[in-house]
Amino acid sequence: MAELGSDAIEGLAPQRARLAAFLRRLIANRSVALGGGLVVFVVALALLAPWVTPYNPLESSFRERLLPPSAEHLFGTDHFGRDVLTRVIYGGRLSLEIGFLVVLATGVFGTLIGGCAGYFRSLDNPAMRLMDAWMSFPAILLAIAVSATLGSSVTNVVIALSLATIPHTARIVRASVLVVREMEYVEAARALGARDTRILVVHVLLNSTAPLIVRLTYVFAIAILAEAVLSFIGVGPPPPAPSFGNIIANGRDFMVEAPWVTIFPGVAIFVVVLGLNLLGDGLRDVLDPRMRI
Amino acid sequence: MWSFVLRRLISSIPVLFLVSLMTFGLIWLVPGDPASVFLDASATPEQVANLRRELGLDQPLWTQMLSWYERVLSGDLGQSILLNRSVAAAILERLPITLSLAAIALVLAVILGILLGSLAAVNHGGWGDQSIMTVALLGLSIPDFWLGLVLIVVFAVQLGWLPSGGFVAITEDPGGWAMSMALPAFTLTITQIGFIARMTRSSMLDVLRQDFVRTADAKGLGHGFVVMRHALPNAMMPILTVTGVIAGGLLGGAVVVEQVFALPGVGRLIIGAILSRDFPVIQGGLLMLAVIYLLVNLIVDMLYAVIDPRVRLG
Amino acid sequence: MKTRILQIALAGGMMTGGLMAVGLPAVVQAQDGGDVVIAQLQAPPSLDPHVTSAQAARNVNLHMYETLYARDENAAPVPDLAQGVEISEDGLTYVFTLREGVNFHDGSQMHADDVVASLNRYREIGASSTLLSAIESVEETGEYEVTVNLSEVQSTFLDNLSSPRAPIAVIPAEQAVMGANEIEFIGTGPFRFVEFQPDSFVRLERFDDYSLNTNYSERDGLAGYKEVFIDSVTFRFITESGSRVAGLETGEIHLLETVDGPSAQRLAENDQYVVYDVLPFAFQVIKFNHAQSPTDDVEFRLAVSAALDMEEIMAISHPDIYEIDGGWLFTNSAFYSDAALDLYNIADLEVARQHLENSSYDGETLTFIVDNGRANVDTATIVQQRLAAIGVTVELSVADWPTVSQIGFTPDGWHFWTHGFGIEPFEGPASVIAPWVDGVSMQADDPEINRLYNALTTEMDADARAAIFAEFQAYMYENAVAIKAGNYGLFQVSTAALENFVPFRIPRMWGVRLNQ
Repeated sequence: MAELGSDAIEGLAPQRARLAAFLRRLIANRSVALGGGLVVFVVALALLAPWVTPYNPLESSFRERLLPPSAEHLFGTDHFGRDVLTRVIYGGRLSLEIGFLVVLATGVFGTLIGGCAGYFRSLDNPAMRLMDAWMSFPAILLAIAVSATLGSSVTNVVIALSLATIPHTARIVRASVLVVREMEYVEAARALGARDTRILVVHVLLNSTAPLIVRLTYVFAIAILAEAVLSFIGVGPPPPAPSFGNIIANGRDFMVEAPWVTIFPGVAIFVVVLGLNLLGDGLRDVLDPRMRI
Repeated sequence: MWSFVLRRLISSIPVLFLVSLMTFGLIWLVPGDPASVFLDASATPEQVANLRRELGLDQPLWTQMLSWYERVLSGDLGQSILLNRSVAAAILERLPITLSLAAIALVLAVILGILLGSLAAVNHGGWGDQSIMTVALLGLSIPDFWLGLVLIVVFAVQLGWLPSGGFVAITEDPGGWAMSMALPAFTLTITQIGFIARMTRSSMLDVLRQDFVRTADAKGLGHGFVVMRHALPNAMMPILTVTGVIAGGLLGGAVVVEQVFALPGVGRLIIGAILSRDFPVIQGGLLMLAVIYLLVNLIVDMLYAVIDPRVRLG
Repeated sequence: MKTRILQIALAGGMMTGGLMAVGLPAVVQAQDGGDVVIAQLQAPPSLDPHVTSAQAARNVNLHMYETLYARDENAAPVPDLAQGVEISEDGLTYVFTLREGVNFHDGSQMHADDVVASLNRYREIGASSTLLSAIESVEETGEYEVTVNLSEVQSTFLDNLSSPRAPIAVIPAEQAVMGANEIEFIGTGPFRFVEFQPDSFVRLERFDDYSLNTNYSERDGLAGYKEVFIDSVTFRFITESGSRVAGLETGEIHLLETVDGPSAQRLAENDQYVVYDVLPFAFQVIKFNHAQSPTDDVEFRLAVSAALDMEEIMAISHPDIYEIDGGWLFTNSAFYSDAALDLYNIADLEVARQHLENSSYDGETLTFIVDNGRANVDTATIVQQRLAAIGVTVELSVADWPTVSQIGFTPDGWHFWTHGFGIEPFEGPASVIAPWVDGVSMQADDPEINRLYNALTTEMDADARAAIFAEFQAYMYENAVAIKAGNYGLFQVSTAALENFVPFRIPRMWGVRLNQ
């Protein structure tokens, strides 16, 4: 066997074994199992909403306003006479959609900014000063300001929340890129004459994904919580489509007389966020034990 | 040390400049203006235009920017359009409320968080560890404003023990002040304890595994003593870091909690200003929050050096 | 010339507010004194009475400031700071005699120069300066006499002068030279200013040197004998409705300026509280943008008008405190008309579909702008759902009031807009027509409405004015210029300790006692 061939095979085998070991650890991790289970459950409910819900989330019936929980309406009805259970399940759709889009946007822009700042020395200082400024007032206030400015729509809520979560993510990516770029295999690739972009994408970024994935799981949780805050302030996604946040915002005027309208979507947020936090903790333990906080 | 502080202060100037540029960007993008808040739906466009002139809002943006920077450099944040006072006065009136709310929550969260985190670490893997960590995680996952609403229903409406909102100055009535701060501070603390407890636990675990602790243990110094005397101080560094991080988070949390409990703090001031387009207050308020955030982080960095003499500030 | 006080019985509205639960009869004479706390939703944007027409400001300002004429219990203009008026035969000259010995809060006395300066300031910077647009000049013709010359006959001049919208308050002449928001808060009212924390509270104290208007013996609308028994009143601004109600229940607050239906019903069961229903307080109106297709098309607008079920809109947006009534004035108004009311609340999707087929609507998505007040969002949501049933796609665009009110007065960016019309029907027929003059509220000029408005404001005969108004109402319905969904009211709740409170356009704190 030629030396080159055996090298390649030896290179692949441990990688496969590492992946298998990683998956085993992932499945064995209780936090991942529990958190992942919760998240999968909620996502499944949201996807299957039309089939699992007994009512139409938008159809009002003013003769059935503010009914307390009963066999007919497990979570009661809101002040339009709409079934709260149905709305919470459909609300999950919109809230998860917003969370997912925020994760996507934060992942892309956080990686782009953090990756460039970490890899190209000349960009580091200006980019990080910008992130400092960006982070130097409360993220939620920034999101409120942006959402109020742009007007309420799902897209604008996603933009507002992404703007609030990008800088921290960019910092995390930058920090791990700083570590990775000095590693031997990057030096080697550079010595072999690989282009900057290739090195950045193939070696540096791929090897800094672990902290990014963990961070994005938390970003998902933060986005779900923050969507609710925006709705509460009155700058969340517009009606009539329900989201966890705007169901609560709708119900708070009747908080004393009809607490079920406020309480159930709050519990739903709690469950989703708990699931995501558990998942994040588990992933962190499995992916990178050194990252524990 | 002082040269470090000076350098940090100087390096924060470009950051603050960027902050002010960003807020101008926001204001430039935002539709509507404060004139409409004075008028009801029946106001005609001419009336709005009149009022805009009265309020000095018909100047081009760059003119407004130039005069703003000119004034800020001479220490004047300008006049609020709606509040009938200077922006600085409006902020200074409310700052104590926000800061005391955040400070109470910070102190409570740090004390309780370190206590719980240490207990969990010492009890590593045991029943206590698991239940404390579960509670910490639950606290992290509760939406803060929703918790506030539920607490109002339970403690103010159902039980009638505490006021549902509003603020009593400590100088006026210390008892009333404590009552008015109880629910907001509790709401804010619950959501922050988790961070500190988790952080404390993991850094304590790292330290407890280290040689000098084992040595001390071996010398038979008593585990509790060892933890308090050797392990905790060494675990303070990462805890301090997370404290710096949540100090920013606390300000954000305070903004939301102020809204729920109708506390007239800076967060409520800024949100009100955003919704009513009181531009000078938005500008000044955000700038002030940025200054506070930068100061808190500077203090945290200085504390590093105080707690651990090995750290050289440079 | 003879003194002629135009008696125009305008829609009062407030007096119809029946009590849902009546407080315990005051067996024991209430003691004087006490500090009343009122909770209201929003903070006043300013305490300068001339520059703001916001309800939140009116509530506070009308305790501190007074006007020459003010609206009585039935919303008719009656003298307040004026003793009376003489109107020339040609209707162009108004000579006001002032009451003598009226004190300002700063200790000085009111004279003609203060009135002239105040009116002139209002004409320049007043939030509703059009109220005084008919004025050609204002002159001081005696120490206690002011002469106003009009450039054209205006049958509604005293209505305008007495409007509480952005009150044409009399302030000291040296204050009246100040720009908007620059005055010290000095008026002649029964309360004087103490402290204003703009996002928290305003505190007013009884003005001990208040000059009672002895032309009256009792409280009468915003005029009358304003005797104050309490020591102070504090207006607190609490956005959270749960917090407001909880404040009442813990005893921190004595009067809630507005409470939602379910809370009001719960509180009504407890005899510690008195619930007042202030109905009607305002119209819920759905406006169309006539500068955009398809809302420029009468057939399309008639389709919408025919589709809507007003009972559904009102029951959800204003639970338990609404009236299904299509008149463009309150029912107790002397000008109330039932013209064309057969076109109100048709709620027939079939009829709607027929109109829609004749219209230019072609499946496009229409924009419904609405501010984030709950009742308005609810109305928009229901209209959206109802129109979906006849195949019209509507998208809600919710923003805060500054944004919405900016878009809503431009020809682009919207098709529908809904909000309350409260002060207009209170003020009377001319004020109800005014928003549609020159196409301001629908963004396309309508000569017929302009003609009706001019006819109404120059017609001195009351019956003829009533006929003109009926014509206007029929025109509104036949062309679906805009849609009136119904009348809504407010629930106000006080502790039983607050005695002799009668709700009005603002929560009046004169004449009330706090039983301690």
